[in-house]
Amino acid sequence: MGEPTQSYLKVPYDLRPAKQVERRMLVESLQQIATLGFPIRDYQYTGFGSVYFIDFVLFHKSLGISKMLSVEYDSAIEKRVKFNQPFRCVTIKLGPIADFIPTLSRKRRHLLWLDYDSVITESHLQDIWLAAAQLPTGSILLVTVDVEPPVKEGTPAKWKDYFSTEAGTYLGTNSARKHFVESNLIDINRHILFNVIKSGLASRDETFIPLYSFEYADGHRMLTVGGMIGTPLNRETLRASTLKDLKYMKFEEADRPFAINIPRLTRKERLFLDKNMPAHAKWALRDFELPAEMLQSYKDIYRYLPVYGELVF
Amino acid sequence: MPTTEMANAFPRKRFFMEMFTRDISLEDCILDLIDNSIDSLVRQKEIDPAADILKRVRRPKNKEPLPLISLKLSEKEISISDNCGGIPPSQVLTEVFSFGHDEGASLGQLGAYGIGLKRAIFKIGEDFEMRSLTAVGGFDAKMDVLLWAEKDDAMEDWKVPIHITGPERKGPFGTSIKFKTLRDEVKMRLRDGAFLGKLSSEIAKTYALFLEEIVRVEVNGSKVEPMLLPIASSDDAKPGQVEFTKGDVKVRIIATLAERKDQEWAYERAGWYVLCNGRIVLSADKSELTGWGEGLPRYHSKYNGFVGILVFRSRKPLALPWTTTKRGLNRESPVFQSAKVEMVMLARPIISFLNGMYPGELFESIPERRIAEKVKAADIRDLASKRPAPFELKKGKVEAKTTTKVQYEAELKDVERIRRAVQKPKWSANRIGRHTFEHFLKTECP
Repeated sequence: MGEPTQSYLKVPYDLRPAKQVERRMLVESLQQIATLGFPIRDYQYTGFGSVYFIDFVLFHKSLGISKMLSVEYDSAIEKRVKFNQPFRCVTIKLGPIADFIPTLSRKRRHLLWLDYDSVITESHLQDIWLAAAQLPTGSILLVTVDVEPPVKEGTPAKWKDYFSTEAGTYLGTNSARKHFVESNLIDINRHILFNVIKSGLASRDETFIPLYSFEYADGHRMLTVGGMIGTPLNRETLRASTLKDLKYMKFEEADRPFAINIPRLTRKERLFLDKNMPAHAKWALRDFELPAEMLQSYKDIYRYLPVYGELVF
Repeated sequence: MPTTEMANAFPRKRFFMEMFTRDISLEDCILDLIDNSIDSLVRQKEIDPAADILKRVRRPKNKEPLPLISLKLSEKEISISDNCGGIPPSQVLTEVFSFGHDEGASLGQLGAYGIGLKRAIFKIGEDFEMRSLTAVGGFDAKMDVLLWAEKDDAMEDWKVPIHITGPERKGPFGTSIKFKTLRDEVKMRLRDGAFLGKLSSEIAKTYALFLEEIVRVEVNGSKVEPMLLPIASSDDAKPGQVEFTKGDVKVRIIATLAERKDQEWAYERAGWYVLCNGRIVLSADKSELTGWGEGLPRYHSKYNGFVGILVFRSRKPLALPWTTTKRGLNRESPVFQSAKVEMVMLARPIISFLNGMYPGELFESIPERRIAEKVKAADIRDLASKRPAPFELKKGKVEAKTTTKVQYEAELKDVERIRRAVQKPKWSANRIGRHTFEHFLKTECP
């Protein structure tokens, strides 16, 4: 069984801008979903808080969720994790997430974020299967995985071997070597994630209603897939709502992920651009050079992009 | 010019005789006949497995012996006879020999499809004799199967001559079937010295909950003892259980640690067992069918300590998820699909427990191991009397072990040097190790 990587040692969780943009987009859309008859503040949030608990802080403050469970695999940092508990309402449990998913109450709706920091492994897929089978209708399931090539200095043939071993039955018709070229790995990952979710849901009346598909890189390329376990009526409600005006919402399994690209800009450039946001159709940037796609990225994400500064304390 | 005509979709006797006997073994055909005998008891209202199979029957002492199903097998003849109540004439004319049951037919609980007797006849013999006796009348039937097969022109040819006999005041009431001319391949199987042992052990496994509780089975005069499900429990490890009803089917799932034999868990006995109305249809399954490699890891020998029991019960046997050979599950069955999710959820903590027993490095005082050593064999009927709850462990109660094992490789010539130094030429390496350890403790660690 692959163990979670210790990325908390490598990356300061709070300084990953693309990840933060993703979190803020989730918050914005969940706030809207809350107005559609899904009382998000009464949901239970379960995630991997590590020692930073960024998502817990954000979801508690911005969504009002106050039933929260953080699961930590690494019992060697038990004290540190508990020391960093951000709020009294965050329960911390140690062990593999697979031990806790079967204990999630079916009488309560859940927001579960399986936010892995490694490439897909067989044991992740077991977790996801359990989640799809266990979470009651109206719950929201998010899964994040690393979509870099799973074997370093490998070739499509080696990557194919890797995915066949770890995710064989969920590959569907992706059996040719050409499906496993590097540029297609994100799609392979997407297929696997959707297929395992559908497998966990197979015996249920509910289906998976896709809502999110993000790709971004604060270092490694990552993919997040998410949606609601719900009825056809839920699907109609969600799709007919103002959610469709949010560019990053992805209602179809086949939709290309929304790419969160962070343009590298100076403080002055950002302030200048912000003054022109949201940009008129006719507005053009003349004051400094910026490639068109970087400008477009900025237009898409400026509302969610954090500002980092030095804090003296 | 297009015209509408009618294509032939007639059944053929040859199809039934030669094709659908291929998917079933001789053993399973014989078990089908045992099912029919047990169903006689169901029809006489003597037993109700759908309601009672998970309960212990408390029989008063000195009561008459349990009904007996007696099998006799030799290269010359196969016969099965029971005193389970028999088949009344009304039933023989409409149900016993037809392929499949009419809607609303009075079914038992183990026979579901209306196929077992016919398939057994075609599989085993070129002829058969059948006789049944009840208080309201009985019948005799005798037929040359090959001769019957020759004429196959109309539905009229699909009948079996029956001789109805009058009511009897005195029993024993029951049914017997005899095959005097065996098919060649059946004779070949019977010549195999392992066949009777295999058949007996299949019966012992398949009817574990019936044998010696509500019926007896003998093979060539020897009693078949039930082979109990290898489940165990202890105060420190309480089995997980779930119960639910879907449609006409009641489902009970138990997941627990396996019984240990000589302090070991056996690969052959681990996995899922599936019972339909008490009859085992799947034993020790470790495949993806029962969730391995989906919500559970793929099966690995470190899970040899896992046993799960899935019990489906219904008074409508067609609602149960078994296949027609009763040696497997119909994976498309909705009730099985629902059960599968619960199986995985229930098994998950036990899988984690077993993972904990075999960590990367070897620790001697792992609480999981000490719990595992204490489990004792349990009976499913005792477990089923408890309220459903998840698998529960009491790790805290287990005292930490205060010893550890010291083991290392040493050069033979160094061991020999110590032997000479202590002047004990016959000491074992083990003894030398202990001596040097104690010597160090005494002289260096006051």
